[in-house]
Amino acid sequence: MIEVNQLTKVFGTYPAVDHISFDASHGEIVGFLGPNGAGKTTTMRMLTGFIPPTSGEAKVAGFDVLKDSFEVRKRVGYLPETVPVYPDMTVYGYIKFWAELRGLRRPKRRVDEVIDMVQLTSRRNSLIRNLSKGMRQRLGLAQAVVHNPEVIILDEPTIGIDPQQVIEVRESVRALRQNHTVLFSTHILSEAEQVCDRVLIIHQGRIVAEGTPANLRRKLQPDPRLYVLIGGASHEKAITVLMGVQGVESVEPNGEGLTVHVRAGLDLRGEIAARITQAGYQLLELRPVAMTLEDIFLDIVGRMP
Amino acid sequence: MRGTWIIFRREVGQYFVSPVAYMIAAAFLLLTGFLFNNDLVVSATVKAASPSVVPQFLSMALVFFSPVLTMRALAEESREGTLELLLTAPVRDSDIVLGKFFGAWFYYSLLLALTLVYQVILLAITTPDLGHAISAYVGIWLYGGATLAVGLFFSAVTENQIVAAFLSTAALLVLYLGGLAGQIVANVDLARIINQLTLQGHFITSFAYGLVRAEDIVYYAGMIVIMLYITMRVVEAHRWRA
Repeated sequence: MIEVNQLTKVFGTYPAVDHISFDASHGEIVGFLGPNGAGKTTTMRMLTGFIPPTSGEAKVAGFDVLKDSFEVRKRVGYLPETVPVYPDMTVYGYIKFWAELRGLRRPKRRVDEVIDMVQLTSRRNSLIRNLSKGMRQRLGLAQAVVHNPEVIILDEPTIGIDPQQVIEVRESVRALRQNHTVLFSTHILSEAEQVCDRVLIIHQGRIVAEGTPANLRRKLQPDPRLYVLIGGASHEKAITVLMGVQGVESVEPNGEGLTVHVRAGLDLRGEIAARITQAGYQLLELRPVAMTLEDIFLDIVGRMP
Repeated sequence: MRGTWIIFRREVGQYFVSPVAYMIAAAFLLLTGFLFNNDLVVSATVKAASPSVVPQFLSMALVFFSPVLTMRALAEESREGTLELLLTAPVRDSDIVLGKFFGAWFYYSLLLALTLVYQVILLAITTPDLGHAISAYVGIWLYGGATLAVGLFFSAVTENQIVAAFLSTAALLVLYLGGLAGQIVANVDLARIINQLTLQGHFITSFAYGLVRAEDIVYYAGMIVIMLYITMRVVEAHRWRA
């Protein structure tokens, strides 16, 4: 559905997207994960036919984004990062406008259908200026799917809305997968894990890792870490006890508590808890430290040549 | 073509959902009404009533009025990000510009049509020269189109509506008052050329006197075509700057 081959975009001398290649098949939700400025938006803009690539090629539904831009644009639904709205239009009028512009002949039924899908039926005739941010986000989503495009491109659709609404938007996106290919960008790792079938991690314009969320996490977290908070012992004493456990590689202070690096593949939580109580200290907290996206980036970037 | 029509419809709708459009219409009628009334009073004693008094006033007023009508058109799309969506929709860049332009011109045409009420009043009380009236109205209609095209261009070059309005007013003023430069030039041919380039030069001495000349029509139509063409290029350039 989406084939990208050595796609590059250079702004001046700065390569925003640097020879990236990937593909996405029908019914797949592909996540674009990366910090701000990694090149996610630029890649998406090239796929929607908004900006032309500097070199390389990209095909959407079999059509080249540069040569057959029109065909591509008919088959893509796009939600930019900030939802573009006309504040003086009604919800219905807005969706109908985009439906017509994208070639739907008798859009009335379909428009009401998507308004219903994003649960804005009760606001059907409200002016967009009176909608909350989450509603606008869902309105943007409705606009992107109204013409039933084969490919849907969503640029950070959950940014800046409250947690309840985030969940709603994620559910809406997951619901799209049956009939569409979805390209979804985010800088939140857990979000990519929940929503996507496959994740591409992009950094400084390059794809630095790729795989299913579970695989990525396994691959990127070779060295499991635990956070331990011990009562009744100084850091030095606690470190001595912890280093005595077979399989612990190193221990370092982390605020009030300690971070314990464990040899890969071992689960030492039971062992550590037992040792601490045996030594007469209190175990106040013991939990695995999930790697944050930042950690993963530092890790990947550190390993890059 | 289909894209132009859809954008045109939204554009016209946009003029009528905001109270500003109605306020502009009211101000338009109030000002032209005063003027017409004045001319009518004078015509009772001094001279015959002129059917072109309103178009003549508009030739000056449009310098300030057209930018207000067009300042929003593309500047707001660009600022709100809707231009990005328009540029990724299956419509040509020219559809966007043409839809916007015809929308503004249509709204202006409606306003102009409202002022025909003065012609009706004249018809009721005297026997005005209809040919003269028609010529003046056709002229000011084209003239309006040309000023709107200039306004649309400046709306495309900036994201800021106020800047767009200011720049287009400045440009229109130059085009309007350019004839003054012609008056202080000693060389007659040069002065004539300068005058031929101004908005006024193709209206005040021809259409306003009931004279419909091909060169004047070509001037306004040419200005519309050229300005719209440049505007399309500017819109297209968004793809390269983004």
